[in-house]
Amino acid sequence: MTENKKKILEMLAENKISIDDAYRLLNVIDADEGGQASTPKPESEVKAKPKYLRVNVMPDPDAEGGSGDRVNVRVPMSLIRAGIKLTSLIPPEAMDKVNGALRDKGINFDVRSVKTEDIEELIEALGELEVDVMSGRGEKVKVFVE
Amino acid sequence: MNRPPMLMHVRVRNESTNFGLWLPLFLLIPLALVVLIILSPLILIAVIVLWPSGWGKLAILALWAAIVSFCSLRGLKVDVQGRNERVYISVV
Repeated sequence: MTENKKKILEMLAENKISIDDAYRLLNVIDADEGGQASTPKPESEVKAKPKYLRVNVMPDPDAEGGSGDRVNVRVPMSLIRAGIKLTSLIPPEAMDKVNGALRDKGINFDVRSVKTEDIEELIEALGELEVDVMSGRGEKVKVFVE
Repeated sequence: MNRPPMLMHVRVRNESTNFGLWLPLFLLIPLALVVLIILSPLILIAVIVLWPSGWGKLAILALWAAIVSFCSLRGLKVDVQGRNERVYISVV
């Protein structure tokens, strides 16, 4: 055990730092010892904040009778954020109606429980979203963020 | 809050029609501002009257949400292309 690790454990024993802090510091030391500390992450690993939600529908190029509908939609994430935040404007009576309608559809969800922090988390999680569907008719549907 | 959009490009094309339109949204902003200033005393009275019932606060929030949503429109692009028709909307 290195001197630094001992110091961290002593500080933890004396309640000078929390368990989480100690864990983080020990991880940093481990990484240092492994020669990985303070190495900047490659650019590919540092994910940029998603700016747009894209929806693409491409028709089957080999379909008979020419091409089908082609859809290309780009929605700014800020617009999605603003849209979701609009839920806070829904009056409580309407919220009850929405909850009731959702319950009728078999969805047991309370719309009032949606908080701003949850929305932010949800939008962050959208960054990982990628839907790629190919229909039986040969149409390709792609939903992704960029 | 984002910078408000400046222009909206609408293009509609089908067998009988083919037109493109650049809507100068930046001209709407001063216009909307003037309307808001003119109506502000009425809005203020309405908000004060409705405040006890809770609708006043809701009205202010709705107004703010509308402004934020409008400003978030920048970058929106919708392009739907059928066999003989196309609708294209872009906000820049």
